[in-house]
Amino acid sequence: MRTSNRRRSTLSFLLAAAAALAVVTVVGILLTETAMETDFSRTGLPPSLDALFGTDWMGRDMFARTLSGLSLSIRIGLLTAAISAAVALALGIVSAVCGGLVDAAISWCIDLVMGIPHILLVMLISIACGRGFTGVVMGVALSHWTSLARVVRGEVIQLRQAPYILTAQKLGVSRAGIVRRHLLPHLLPQFLTGLVLLFPHAILHEASVTFLGFGLSSERPAIGAILSESMRYLTTGKWWLALFPGLSLVLVVMLFALLGDRLRRLLDPASVHG
Amino acid sequence: MRRTAALFLTALLTAALLTGCGGAGAPVSQQPARASDQVIIAMDPNSEPAAGFDPAFGWGAGEHVHEPLIQSTLTVTNTDLTIGYDLATGYTVSEDGLTWTVTIRYDVSFTDGEPLTAQDVAFTYNIVKTSSSVNDFTMLDYAEATDETTVVFHMTRPFSIWPYTMAIVGIVPEHAYDPATYGSAPIGSGRYILKQWDRGQQVILEANPDYYGQAPQMRQVTILFMEEDAAFLAAQAGQVDVAYTSATYSDQAIDGYTLAAYGSVDNRGFNLPAVSAGTDGEGRTVGNDLTADVRVRRAINIGVDRQEMIDNVLNGYGSPAYSVCDGLPWYNEASEVAYDPDGAAALLDEAGWLLSGDGYRYKDGVRAELELLYSTGDSVRQALCADFADQMEELGIACTIRGVGWDTAYTDALSTPLIWGWGAHTPMELYNIYHTIGTTGSAQYSPYANAAVDAYMDAALASTDLEASYELWQKAQWDGTTGVTQEGDVPWVWLVNVDHLYWVRDGLQIAEQKIHPHGHGWSIVNNVDQWRWG
Repeated sequence: MRTSNRRRSTLSFLLAAAAALAVVTVVGILLTETAMETDFSRTGLPPSLDALFGTDWMGRDMFARTLSGLSLSIRIGLLTAAISAAVALALGIVSAVCGGLVDAAISWCIDLVMGIPHILLVMLISIACGRGFTGVVMGVALSHWTSLARVVRGEVIQLRQAPYILTAQKLGVSRAGIVRRHLLPHLLPQFLTGLVLLFPHAILHEASVTFLGFGLSSERPAIGAILSESMRYLTTGKWWLALFPGLSLVLVVMLFALLGDRLRRLLDPASVHG
Repeated sequence: MRRTAALFLTALLTAALLTGCGGAGAPVSQQPARASDQVIIAMDPNSEPAAGFDPAFGWGAGEHVHEPLIQSTLTVTNTDLTIGYDLATGYTVSEDGLTWTVTIRYDVSFTDGEPLTAQDVAFTYNIVKTSSSVNDFTMLDYAEATDETTVVFHMTRPFSIWPYTMAIVGIVPEHAYDPATYGSAPIGSGRYILKQWDRGQQVILEANPDYYGQAPQMRQVTILFMEEDAAFLAAQAGQVDVAYTSATYSDQAIDGYTLAAYGSVDNRGFNLPAVSAGTDGEGRTVGNDLTADVRVRRAINIGVDRQEMIDNVLNGYGSPAYSVCDGLPWYNEASEVAYDPDGAAALLDEAGWLLSGDGYRYKDGVRAELELLYSTGDSVRQALCADFADQMEELGIACTIRGVGWDTAYTDALSTPLIWGWGAHTPMELYNIYHTIGTTGSAQYSPYANAAVDAYMDAALASTDLEASYELWQKAQWDGTTGVTQEGDVPWVWLVNVDHLYWVRDGLQIAEQKIHPHGHGWSIVNNVDQWRWG
């Protein structure tokens, strides 16, 4: 009885969190126009009922900027996590199934990418791809697939020795057939959890690389750009420029982390203990 | 549950870090007692000369010109930007403008005791010609010393404004010049000696006891390199006597300090590509179909309210700009225009861009659209760009703004207006902006060509009389029938001159400043030897 309750509450949390993130994403897109609108007659206003999160030095509404920044972050997060996860799945399976030289080459690539500090790699790839949206997406996507690829590879290597796979091989099922019919369904839980847990990383890295000036262009309402601009105004006491966007970024990242955590418990009931 | 708690704590910590200690706390204390002949100045970290204090690598004569302090120069620019003498005692130029003969003082020594001779001067100019990567010295063929106190410059082409170049090139000693070490241990004959240089932190200058001119009143000048917010906090803590700042901080107040604003020709303006869009030989997009029409450019020039920009973006600390050289001897007052939105609308109507119900202008079904660029990371340019875009929207031109890095900005600007910053103590800037270059038949930064404007500037450079050449530079701007002003071609629209702002400790008398050039750095200390306390 208890277990089913927990499952249900976890499920409702999942739905609520997903709905909240979806609402932020959609509202953010709708507010993008407002977020970029400057109004020099109301610059540097502290938070009030009129402007919930205050306004910045060009009179832009910080509430709209924060929401559309989050929305942009979430969209970039989704895109990069999806690309990363796809790359990880493909390479992980190929590596484990083919073995030998292919495995060695892919493992070497994983070690190489993991060996370079993430933020540095993201910056380099972003600059190489001309910064902006493409730069950030490429940078984050190409640097985040490694750990998931490793998990997938390990899982597949373990599975290869499972009796039902060995039997399938003996019965003459092709490699592609085994992957499609037996491996992929088995990998789904790990894959989904890994995918969701990639979001927070992707979002944080997008914000950091933009903050450092190597990511999105500064006129776009991105959380990284907002935070880096606000640095100039902290010493003059305009705390609201950093506080609300920073807090909301942390909240969104936490929401994604919890989402991934709960998802893992749902899909992998063995780990639900307390 | 523990994980959730940990996440929450992380969130709190991050938030605390992000907000820092917001709020300008109560300013701190009085300054420690300081000798009356010392001054500490906070400057932007970009002002630190990366290659050291070597004129051949941009010290004084780089992108941002200023007096080299450690070295002497042949000439100086006076407060009204006419030419005065430092080492030179006189100069003449040949009829064809190709030979400059400069006589120098005989009583000047370097700080190592060796006398400064014409040989050192010739050596210096030959060195900067071959090694300067930041300044153009192609007009100089070679320099030679004909006797102890006479140096002759042989030019490759007439260059009447050579005295302005002579005002920024510090003279180095031939006997003690090694390009590898001179930058960090310079020997000169100027007002100050480099006593100490802690890279990334500070420079300490000490008065030259054997200086041939008036002895410096400030015996020791310390320059600290710090970011703008750190400079503000340092002034609040009473640790510096002068701290650079910007309009961002101008609404603040610091006890014991006054906000000083110095007028500048540090202008900001957009280039307006003056030809229709196309592709050049290198495959770059050049030209812009909207700004190719001179009536549109004229409408933009009178349709922008410069004072509103100054009030909005610069907090009032600036002056309207109408040219790249406002207030300098070669400035033509015909550049000035009045804000006239009705006139601008009429010009746009005349050009065929008619107002539609949605508030935008259309011509043959095409909406009037303009993309405006600014350099990423410069908040003042970003805000000016945004304000300009707002004002253009009022005229019915749909604007978008985009931040660009300098790696691509020069190419982008050939087809798209970019907000630039200029302003130098030499008329050469007019040449660099408006004169066609090489075989392209177009100006360097923004496509534009006018044979009459070129001819005036060529004549000005060929002139043998500097004072007389000012008039030719003015005619290049507007001669009554053609030029680059409102009634002329308007290939650039100038917006504002940004005042250079400093927090100055009460009691410090900063000597009268020349109109500051572009670059919020060493210009302030051009005459630090004449500053005094009390």
